[in-house]
Amino acid sequence: MSRLHRFLRSPEAIAGTAILALLFAMALTAPLLFPGDPQAIAGPALLPPFQDWSLPLGTDRLGRDVLAELFHGARTSLAVGLSAAGAALLIGAVVGTLAGFAGGLIDEVLMRITDAFQTVPGFLLALAFVSIVGPSLGVVVAAIALGAWTGPARVARAEVLSIRERDYVAGARVIGMHPLEIAFREVLPNALPPVLALSSVIVAAAILTEAALSFLGLGDPNRVTWGAMIAEGRAVLRTTPFLSIIPGIALVLTVLGVYLAGEGVVETTAVRRSLS
Amino acid sequence: MSAFTISRRTVLAGSAALLASTAMPVIGRAQTPKRGGRLVVAADSEPRNLNPAIVASNGVFFISSKVVETLAEASFDGKDGLQPRLALSWEGAADGLSVTFKLRDGVKWHDGKPFSSADVAFSALQLWKPLQNLGRTVFKDLSTVETPDELTAVFKFAKPTPFQLIRNALPALSSVVPKHVYENGKIEENPANNAPVGTGPYRFAEYKAGQYYRLAKNADYWGKDEPYLDEIVYQVLPDRTSAAAALEAEEIQLAAFSAVPLADLDRISKVPGLKVITKGYEGLTYQLVVEINHRRKELADLKVRQAIAHAIDKDFVVKTIFLGYAATATGPVPKNDPQFYTADVPTYAFDVAKANALLDEAGYKKGPDGNRFSLKLLPAPYFNETKQFGDYLRQALAAVGIDAELVNNDSPAHIKAVYTDHAFDLAVGPPVFRGDPAISTTILVQSGIPDGVPFSNQGGYKNAELDALIAKASETLDTTARTELYKEFQKKVAADLPLINVAEWSFISVARDTVGNIANNPRWAVSNWADTYLAG
Amino acid sequence: MTRALALIRRRLVGSVFVLSIVIIGTFLLLEAAPGDAVDAYIVSTGGDAGLIEVLRHRWGLDQSELTRLANYLWALCHLDLGQSVTFSRPIRDIILERLPTTLILMGSATALSFGLGSALGIYAGAKPGSFRDRFLSIGSLALYAVPGFWLGLVLIVVFAVDLRWLPIGGIETIASAKTGLSRAADIATHLVLPVSALGFIYLALYLRMMRAGMAEAWRQDFVLAARARGLSRRRIVLAHVARNALLPLITMLGLQSAQTLGGSVVIESVFAVPGLGRLAQEAVAGRDTPLLLGIILTSAVLVIVINLLVDLAYALLDPRVGASEAGA
Repeated sequence: MSRLHRFLRSPEAIAGTAILALLFAMALTAPLLFPGDPQAIAGPALLPPFQDWSLPLGTDRLGRDVLAELFHGARTSLAVGLSAAGAALLIGAVVGTLAGFAGGLIDEVLMRITDAFQTVPGFLLALAFVSIVGPSLGVVVAAIALGAWTGPARVARAEVLSIRERDYVAGARVIGMHPLEIAFREVLPNALPPVLALSSVIVAAAILTEAALSFLGLGDPNRVTWGAMIAEGRAVLRTTPFLSIIPGIALVLTVLGVYLAGEGVVETTAVRRSLS
Repeated sequence: MSAFTISRRTVLAGSAALLASTAMPVIGRAQTPKRGGRLVVAADSEPRNLNPAIVASNGVFFISSKVVETLAEASFDGKDGLQPRLALSWEGAADGLSVTFKLRDGVKWHDGKPFSSADVAFSALQLWKPLQNLGRTVFKDLSTVETPDELTAVFKFAKPTPFQLIRNALPALSSVVPKHVYENGKIEENPANNAPVGTGPYRFAEYKAGQYYRLAKNADYWGKDEPYLDEIVYQVLPDRTSAAAALEAEEIQLAAFSAVPLADLDRISKVPGLKVITKGYEGLTYQLVVEINHRRKELADLKVRQAIAHAIDKDFVVKTIFLGYAATATGPVPKNDPQFYTADVPTYAFDVAKANALLDEAGYKKGPDGNRFSLKLLPAPYFNETKQFGDYLRQALAAVGIDAELVNNDSPAHIKAVYTDHAFDLAVGPPVFRGDPAISTTILVQSGIPDGVPFSNQGGYKNAELDALIAKASETLDTTARTELYKEFQKKVAADLPLINVAEWSFISVARDTVGNIANNPRWAVSNWADTYLAG
Repeated sequence: MTRALALIRRRLVGSVFVLSIVIIGTFLLLEAAPGDAVDAYIVSTGGDAGLIEVLRHRWGLDQSELTRLANYLWALCHLDLGQSVTFSRPIRDIILERLPTTLILMGSATALSFGLGSALGIYAGAKPGSFRDRFLSIGSLALYAVPGFWLGLVLIVVFAVDLRWLPIGGIETIASAKTGLSRAADIATHLVLPVSALGFIYLALYLRMMRAGMAEAWRQDFVLAARARGLSRRRIVLAHVARNALLPLITMLGLQSAQTLGGSVVIESVFAVPGLGRLAQEAVAGRDTPLLLGIILTSAVLVIVINLLVDLAYALLDPRVGASEAGA
């Protein structure tokens, strides 16, 4: 039975994938369906949803089209989530592999640095970093990655420790491969699956961190993000709750989608590994 | 009561007229003041230094004006807009070299010692002049304070100083602190800066960081039968949405300084037992201003500045961002100022076509992407409204082909970027008009101010004619002549646009119906609340 | 026992290194910040050039970065955290004032998410793939996906404003002069909403981890052996499967402690709780470098201690020990 088959047999995985597919579709079609600046003022302020069909989801405090913001928000939220997770996984995998493979002093130093990052609350670090460098999308991504790479680093290191003594690694040593080459070509790819298993959590956490930073007024004002939409909508939570509920639902669905699809992938590979 | 549970329309625009009406009734119901009770008020920030003689700011006054009193307070119907507090009368000499204050008799400090002219002299010479953020400008030429008797203080100036300026500065700048508490040791490190001692109707009782400030009734207060309340507690509520919730849950009875977001006022005005009050801030007008960096060659061109002024729909700003709780601005003095304002200035109607034409004329044609040039726009982060106006301005500029990139900073980073590093093209700022242009308004356009001074002209604007006018007004003693000069000043600023005044707003209070005597002077939120009471 | 002592000693040595990285890193980060404590201060006051110069001098900001770092480290060696520029009080006092609040908030929230999460995880994992399993794991995930501040605001509107069952915020009734038990009850009432908001967010972590661990444990030999011996399902679930699955959760507890402090920044702000998280945010906003250093140092020490306890607990609950006991 192929992996794809097994993946498709899990309803959660299918639901997750469907949600993600929808999101990507929203993100990709946003510039086509809603050309121009999504932050442009499109109508009267605080128009409720389903009143005017040219503005199906209504407008926000300044009269911006909520649906357009939602579509464009999908782009930024996904971009933030994926790039922050990508950066965190990359840093984590490299640090973890180096530490696990090299051992000794390098391991000790790298792991103490990992400890240091882990003892500082990730959100506090992101908060300080963004206040200091100034909020733009790239800085927000970097700030999130800075607080999220330690988990992958630890997992990668543990995995590397367990496989570095295996036969094929010994074989690679015998044929005289450079240690770094062994580390990154032989060991890392095999250590990767459990590290990647963390990606869904990190993507979800990244999207949420961006939302919390926006809540504290530290989002990128030139881009629409769902987090910023929720943060802005909270001031009118009592009168026009839809302004924070609509992006809120989008956020919840995304996090669920990412998580479920991620889980599906992990489970399929886990079964494969336990079978082999 | 319905007169003050206002609809959106009757706000600031009408306040100048209200100021003129001397039939201003005591606000609140026609009920007799009741004694006792604890008034719980929302506070959104925790000022560290509570000494208003050093830090003259609304955040500090909000709490310490109940403890430390000034020589005079602003008034809706008093002569020159003032009512006596620690001083009973004030008289300026014709040569502008002295001002004589007659002080109130029988006033005691909270520690029981008598108040006298020595305290006034000490406060003026040791605190206001050398240490106070605003006093350093207004009292810069104060040389001595003579105290011929216990109840007379004569301020002597080295250079002629307009009496009008001193008078206008009294409500905010003249907080009197006890000499005997401050005379030993460094004034800046005195513990009384955090637990103020004064003559006011309430004593400072305790402060729990992150939780509350508590003031207790001063039984020896000089005001007859005052104060009415037993206690005032300021509950620290850092999140902007919690004040409304706390009011509805009856945990607090008053939220001043627009602690309830404007967008929530319409709803909350309909909650039984709560009232929305737009008065009591006439003396604390904030101005929404586009600060301009004249070092940018495009912005140094008057035509471009005029185009930007025409691109801004001030009515939209007032209606959508301020939800009607503001007035459009014409120049650097707000419409509700009773002494200096003039409407006779060049104005800039919202006109996108004209803005585009002006930009074309200036030689900045639209490129293939529809953009003429790009700008960095820094909205000040202190208020929701300044940030929202930043969002709006970006869109308004896009409509005339100017591509503005918003830069979002926190407060210290914004201050540094705009006023020290000049790393901005346009900035959105909320300067305060403090009753006299010389206190904190002329500095916004005057040249020659060192780098790093906040809320001043750091845009590199230099206009010798305007500088000369400001200098002349600062030494003109005759009130009428001085007022005329400031009218001229408004015309010049509106014509040359060193900055663009967009709107003027004050704050809104929301209170339970039971709170009486609210908003009965133009600086009510930062006045002493001696007559405020809780009914039922 | 000697193993435990060796572990503690090794950790302490490592901690000194970790803490120095944290201190120097944080210091450099804050030094790179645009605007200093004086800029933050004059936001609300304004002031002329002379005044600003006086303030910079008084707060020691006119000294070089290196001098200030050296001074800070030197004072730290004497266990002196220095003076806060914004509060003009000793930082040790400020932190000690806020620490209990944060400890109660974080402790209760962690207890909630750990206790409820693992209990529900056991419940869900006892029958992997069942409806309740799916419902609970997806439901908890949806909670995880709700931004904390938003959850907090909704809780306030429902339980404090509409129903008026609970106070809207704060840590205790202000200026109430309550003491003893009635004060404890008062604090507990105030903590219900913030603890729920903070705890429910992290519920999913423990629930799903417990569940996953249990799914794994079902396949293990010793569980199969227990089944073969004909032990009741309930007994197998609690004594073998759950016990085994608990270990990674305890590790998670250690790793998560720092994150909970981060999460409490926003929750403390929404619920006006005077804790360390909010203080940290104020320190960043006020560019109060020594205060932020003090807070981060405190939280780092806290995290190190918690992780040490976790490791000691881990040693006690070692799976091999458990397995051999079960086999005996």
